[in-house]
Amino acid sequence: MRTSVKKLVTAVSTSVALMGAGHAAAEIQIGIAGPMTGPVAQYGDMQFSGARMAIEQINANGGVMGEELVAVEYDDVCDPKQAVTVANSLVNDGVRFVIGHLCSSSTQPASDIYEDEGILMVTPASTSPEITERGYELVFRTIGLDSMQGPVAANYIAAQNPERVAIVHDKQQYGEGIATAVRDTLKDAGVEIAMFEGITAGDKDFSSLVTKLKQADVDYVYYGGYHPELGLILRQADSAGLDARFMGPEGVGNKDINTIAGEAAEGLLVTLPPAFDQKAENQALVKAFEDKGEDPSGPFVLTSYTAVQLVAEGIEAADSTDPFDVAAALREGTFQTPIGTVEYDKAGDMKSFEFVVYEWHSDGSKTPVN
Amino acid sequence: MQDLLYFSQQLINGLTIGSTYALIAIGYTMVYGIIGMINFAHGEIYMIGAYTALIAITGLASLGIAWLPLILIVALLCAMLVSSSMGWAVERVAYRPVRGRHRLIPLISAIGMSIFLQNYVHLAQGSRNIGFPALIDGGFNFGSGDGFQMSLSYMQITIFITTLICMTALSLFISRSRTGRACRAVSQDLGMASLLGIDTNRIISATFVIGAALAAVAGLLLGMYYGSVDPLFGFIAGLKAFTAAVLGGIGSIPGAMLGGLILGVAESMTSGYLSGEYKDVISFSLLILILLFKPTGLLGKPEVEKI
Repeated sequence: MRTSVKKLVTAVSTSVALMGAGHAAAEIQIGIAGPMTGPVAQYGDMQFSGARMAIEQINANGGVMGEELVAVEYDDVCDPKQAVTVANSLVNDGVRFVIGHLCSSSTQPASDIYEDEGILMVTPASTSPEITERGYELVFRTIGLDSMQGPVAANYIAAQNPERVAIVHDKQQYGEGIATAVRDTLKDAGVEIAMFEGITAGDKDFSSLVTKLKQADVDYVYYGGYHPELGLILRQADSAGLDARFMGPEGVGNKDINTIAGEAAEGLLVTLPPAFDQKAENQALVKAFEDKGEDPSGPFVLTSYTAVQLVAEGIEAADSTDPFDVAAALREGTFQTPIGTVEYDKAGDMKSFEFVVYEWHSDGSKTPVN
Repeated sequence: MQDLLYFSQQLINGLTIGSTYALIAIGYTMVYGIIGMINFAHGEIYMIGAYTALIAITGLASLGIAWLPLILIVALLCAMLVSSSMGWAVERVAYRPVRGRHRLIPLISAIGMSIFLQNYVHLAQGSRNIGFPALIDGGFNFGSGDGFQMSLSYMQITIFITTLICMTALSLFISRSRTGRACRAVSQDLGMASLLGIDTNRIISATFVIGAALAAVAGLLLGMYYGSVDPLFGFIAGLKAFTAAVLGGIGSIPGAMLGGLILGVAESMTSGYLSGEYKDVISFSLLILILLFKPTGLLGKPEVEKI
C-alpha cells in the first residue's frame, strides 16, 4: 500500500513538474499532509484514510465542477521542521488546497507558509487555539479547540469532587496548551492543584514523577500530551502502586496506548470528539470504510473526510478554484457533513464543536461516561 | 518518617537508572581507554539489544514457553549475541579501515554507523513504540497503609543484582584474565603492546564486543523496566551514558560506574525535589562543573589530547 502511494506521489509530482505548476488540466490537486511515519503515525493513518475516501467518493459522483480531485500525499512525521519542508514542496508542486497538518506544532509553522503563498488549509486534527488566533484568511479546521476540550475535561474532574489534582504535560504546544486550559478551569472551580509539571517528550523513565505523584496523594492526574509518554507513565504508576485516576486529551486515545500500558490503560479517561461513526446518518459512509477494510472509528477519520468535502463544496459554492474565493465561500455557507452542520466564524473555527468524555479499556475499546 | 521514605524512594529510583547508565557507559569508556575514540554507535547497539531481547521473548512466548528464568536467559543470550556481533561489525566497518588516520575520520564514520543502524531499525521494526511485556511483577512495600508507601520492585532488585554481577565479572576479567591483562597493556601503549606480541586487533575487537554485550544487558533490563522500545531508544540513553562516562573520568571503568550512579541519583533527586523540567539542566550543569574543576572527570587520569 505504502509503495503504491509513494509511486502515486512521485507520478503526480513528476507530471506536475512536466506540465508546469498550476496547469494540471481537468484536475484539482488536494494535498494531504500528516505523519505517515514516526511515533504518532497511527493518527496519520486515520487522516489519510478519511481524506482518500472523500476524494474517491467525490470523484465517483462526478468530481468538483466537472474536474477530478487528485490526492497528493506528504509525510511530515509530526515534526515542525519537516512540516515546513512539506509546506514548501506543496508550494512547489502547485497544490492549492491542503488537508492537514495533524500535530498542532506542525500545523502552526506550515500554516504561515500556506497563508503567504495563497494556499487554503483545513486541519482535521490540530486543536491548539493559537493556530486560528493570528487573523489568517486561509486557515480552517474541522475539529474543536483545546480551549473547548480542556474545560470539558476539567468540568468532569471537578464534578467528581477530588481533593487534589495533578497536571502533567509534555512541554509541547498541544500538551502544555491543553494542560493550561485544564488548570485554569479547575482553579476557577476551586479544585486544589497539587502539581503542574512538565516532562520531556521521548523520555522513558517516569519513576521520579510517579513517586512525586504518590507523595502528593492526588486523586486525579491530567496529562496533556500524546500516548507514548502517557502509556509509560500509566504502566510505571501501576507497578509503583499509585492510586489515582488518569485523564488525557484525544492525543492519548488510540490503541497504541494499550500495547504500551497493557492492563494499566483500563479506566483511563479521554476527551474525544463524539463518535461520528455511531451516528445513524453516517452508516452508509461507515459501511464504505468497512468494505475497504478500514476502520472509521478513529477520532480523525471523519474530520478528515469532512475537510475534503468542505473544500469541494467551497469550490462549488465559489464557482472558482481560487483559494481566497473558496475561503470566503466557506465563511458564508452552512454545510451538512458527517460531523454535523458546519458553520465557520471569522477566524476559521467551527461555531460549535462538542467533546465527550470516554472511559478507555485495556482491550482498546471505549465507552462514553456522561 | 514520610520524608525519609520519600527520599529513599527517589534514591532507589535514581540508583536503578544510574546502574543501567553505568552498564552502557562501560562501553564508551573501554573503547576510549584503548583507542582514545568515542564509539558514537554505542547507543544504537544498546537499542538493538533491547529489540533483540523483545523479539526473543515474543518468539518464546509464541512457542508456549512460560518458564520465566528460561525466557530471561534465552532473551539475554540472544541480545548479547546480536549486540556483540554488531559491536564487532561496527569496529570492522567504521573503525579498523580508518584507524591511524586523522581522529575526526573514525568519529564521523561512527556517527554514520549510528544513523544507519537507527534507520535500519526504523525500517525493519517500524517507528512506533512497541510494548515490552512486564515479566517481573510485584515487589516489596514499606510504610504505613495510609501514608506514603515506598516500593522496591522485584524488577529494580533484578537490575541491581544483574548490574552488580556484570560489574564484578568485568573487573575480574580485566584484572585477572590474560585478555584482560592484554587490554590493560594496549590501553597503556598500543604500539608497545603490539611490539611485545599482543594481537592488538583482536584486543580492540574484544573491547567493542564486551562493551556491546553489557549494553545488551542494559537493553533487556531497561526495556522491561520502562515498558516500551522505539528506534530512538538508544539515542537519549547513549547521550546520558556518555555523560556518565565523562563525569566519572572517561577511560576509567570504576569511573563509569560511579558516573552512572551519580547521574542517575542527580536526575531522580532533581525530578523529586525540584521539577522534572530541570532534570537534564541539573545533570548537564553537574557535568560542566566537574569538567571545570576536574577536567579529567572524577576518577580519570590526566591524559594528553584525545577526542
